[in-house]
Amino acid sequence: MAAEEEERALLGPAGGDDGGRSPGSPRALPAVCDPRRLPHRLLVLALMCFLGFGSYFCYDNPAALQTQVQRDMKVNTAQFMALYAWYSWPNVVLCFFGGFLIDRVFGIRLGTVIFSIFVCVGQVIFALGALVNTFWLMEVGRFIFGIGGESLAVAQNTYAVSWFKGKELNLVFGLQLSMARIGSTVNMNIMGWIYSRVQDLLGYTGPSTLGLTLMIGGVTCLFSLACALILAYLDRRAEKLLHKEQGKTGEVIKLTDVKDFSLSLWLIFIICVCYYAAVFPFIGLGKVFFIEKFKFSSQEASAINSIVYIISAPMSPVFGLLVDKLGKNIIWVLCAVITTLASHIMLAFTFWNPWIAMCLLGVAYSLLACALWPMVAFVVPEHQLGTAYGFMQSIQNLGLAIIAIAAGMILDTRGYLFLEVFFSACVCLSLIAVVMLYFVNHLTGGDLNWSAKKREKLQKVAAAEVEEQERLRRQNEDDLAKLQPKADDFSLRNKYLSKLGAQGSEAVAESAAEDNSVTFSEIRYA
Amino acid sequence: MAAALPLLLLLAAGGGAGAEGGRQVSMQYNPGWNNSSVNLLHVRAVGPSDTLHYVWSSIGAPAVLLVASASRSSTLRVNWTQLLSPAPAGAIWIDPPGSVVYSTAVVFTKVFEYSEAKTLEELFYPTYDLSDFSWDSINRTLNHTALTAEFTGIPATGPSGSFSNGSLAFRVTAYEANGRDGPLPSLLHTADSSKVEFVLAGVAPRGNSSRFALEVATVEETGVVQKLRSARSIDDEYTPTIFETLSLVAQSQNGSSTLSFLQWKATAYGSQTPRREDSIQCRSHGLQAANWTLPMSSIVHAYFGEGVGSTYTISAINISFGGEDGKVYQEKRYLSWSVLLGFGQPPEDTFSPLVISIMAVALGTPMVMLLVGSCVVLFVQRKRYSEYEPIN
Repeated sequence: MAAEEEERALLGPAGGDDGGRSPGSPRALPAVCDPRRLPHRLLVLALMCFLGFGSYFCYDNPAALQTQVQRDMKVNTAQFMALYAWYSWPNVVLCFFGGFLIDRVFGIRLGTVIFSIFVCVGQVIFALGALVNTFWLMEVGRFIFGIGGESLAVAQNTYAVSWFKGKELNLVFGLQLSMARIGSTVNMNIMGWIYSRVQDLLGYTGPSTLGLTLMIGGVTCLFSLACALILAYLDRRAEKLLHKEQGKTGEVIKLTDVKDFSLSLWLIFIICVCYYAAVFPFIGLGKVFFIEKFKFSSQEASAINSIVYIISAPMSPVFGLLVDKLGKNIIWVLCAVITTLASHIMLAFTFWNPWIAMCLLGVAYSLLACALWPMVAFVVPEHQLGTAYGFMQSIQNLGLAIIAIAAGMILDTRGYLFLEVFFSACVCLSLIAVVMLYFVNHLTGGDLNWSAKKREKLQKVAAAEVEEQERLRRQNEDDLAKLQPKADDFSLRNKYLSKLGAQGSEAVAESAAEDNSVTFSEIRYA
Repeated sequence: MAAALPLLLLLAAGGGAGAEGGRQVSMQYNPGWNNSSVNLLHVRAVGPSDTLHYVWSSIGAPAVLLVASASRSSTLRVNWTQLLSPAPAGAIWIDPPGSVVYSTAVVFTKVFEYSEAKTLEELFYPTYDLSDFSWDSINRTLNHTALTAEFTGIPATGPSGSFSNGSLAFRVTAYEANGRDGPLPSLLHTADSSKVEFVLAGVAPRGNSSRFALEVATVEETGVVQKLRSARSIDDEYTPTIFETLSLVAQSQNGSSTLSFLQWKATAYGSQTPRREDSIQCRSHGLQAANWTLPMSSIVHAYFGEGVGSTYTISAINISFGGEDGKVYQEKRYLSWSVLLGFGQPPEDTFSPLVISIMAVALGTPMVMLLVGSCVVLFVQRKRYSEYEPIN
């Protein structure tokens, strides 16, 4: 069979040649088909990137079509925002189980396909709900979409870890996140156009116009499903040919760890929840805000509403590097929160050109993502990291769901000024948490706000000592320690930092943790 | 005009009183005429030192006469036989005439229906001339406690065609004190103002993308300058998502004082219980001096006489309803637009105490925490040093 021939072709030259680069060999597979060679891995990389494209594209469909959804489905803003809340609800729980499902139940390949199917089916039901003019069906669609979307992001990262290692992995995470940003941005700017084309085609506006538009948007999900299927095939083929193991998330979640969380960690949670609650629901409602308050045209409003995503793509690596080199995470978080507060206040109380405020928001958002997420690793022991990140995402989703609905209700009854004041108050709450975190950290002598230099110095001093301790510890509990090879620690953190899903997969931090996860020798954010 | 200064003084006093005790408002239907075939509603708002008269009538086109009088006891006089005759000039006056410091009138003349095709060419359907409407007696709708009344009309030709199932109405509300309406657009009002709500209910549109526009004419004594002001405010908490307030103000010639105003938010609503999502965009098309003679609005003729251009001038403004897609009316078959009319300065929205207190607490708390935190840190460090000192 062809597969056997492939195997022979691969295994033959693999004896001495580590890269499998034997272009002269007549039996060699074409480069694109050889799992060890760059062209093939690039193909896999492309598939991985497009795996998440559909879900990122469709996540913000409601924001891109807010006026149309509200007009055609005759819903108020609170009901409209429920579409976002329904996405978040399943993830309050699923954050803890996504990894488990992939590792123990489905396996990465089947898991990815299943999650992609959830995304597709969710989007189709969402569109169908519009077609038959039943709003609750749309909500059901968003719920199913939410089940798939967030877990798909976990699967995507797991794939990346299983195919790419080390430096490559940084790039891969970066590319995946850029793809996410592109998905969101393209959605924001193209859905309105598609709607107007469908409207021209049908000759009228109404639920069926909306439904058809969303169906067309759903094509991206089908495309992603196709990527998932091809990826599953290629992964299986690679497993056969290279005897490679199926990727695992390596996620360990123990809910009882929650009681051991420090005050600092809880403060970080508060910062996270309050901050994201003031950014994502705002973007969800943003388009109409710019149209009504600033008299923007529909296209212009779409553009300004997607600027946060656009800015965060190039700025994240820059800030990642900056925070990595300078340390002092709390100060950076403080700057980001204050800037966000300023931009919300600007949007609330002035008619200044909103591009200024939105660009500031975009910059602040990128900065916060780069400085906040890695802090968790400083205040949590390695073995609790999974639980900490799972918990952080869970309450982030809970916060987003609740705030989304509250924001819709506030808009309907109190208007945009009050809504902006509400968002400002949320940011202030996270500001309070940052200030508290600063003092708590200062008083308890924590390392959150050390500069990178100091960290390095102290780390060198401690290195020998730690090594000694580590040796002792390993002797004592050799099983546990040896079960987790270094590469896994490394990829573990990667995953947590990057699986922040459709709303916020912003941070990819990578740590080549030498021992107790104090060192972030290499952090990359995209 | 010469009366501007006294009015200013009067309203300065009256406004103050309005804020404290308000005005005593009484409504009288067809004073001195025992017949309900015509509608004339006299709203008399007595302040501490002045009286504001609002005379609403549907004789001819629906109109309101606003007269400020410096006397608490001034009364409205109507010569009914003359008023209902073809030459009504002088049939309405305020007694004593010398107490009148300022008078103006607002006439709702026409309702246009047009469709805006894609070619930007506006197609106008035959205009509804409100002076040709027949109006129900408002006696039944008169509410002396809520101070409301409703003029409902249909074309005089009878309830056929578009109006077979619908009607056009003007809902009048008088105010005794400063305050704010409950239902949207929740206009802020003073004791020196009244509200009128233009309502189209059930009127069938004659085209697929029909829009309506209301023509409002104002009558001012010569020498009074009118200005249309559009104020964009950041504060939309009372009228969610509506940031624009328009006001048509009448100023004395030297521009120093505002005599009267019409004020409205740039929105109409497509529901009897208006919510944000029922909002219908409302645009106003420049104020124009109207050279035409007023349509048969008898009370304006009856009060101001026949001196168009010499003793008084007429201006007109069109208010159109429906945004880029004039769909809302098509679906709801309901449109209501509220406008406040009154004497003196139009009221201005200010931030609600809730907004101010939320901002104060939200911004204040981090500051306080920063201060307290710094103190605690300083204190702890000092304590540490003092503990270390003996060791050193």
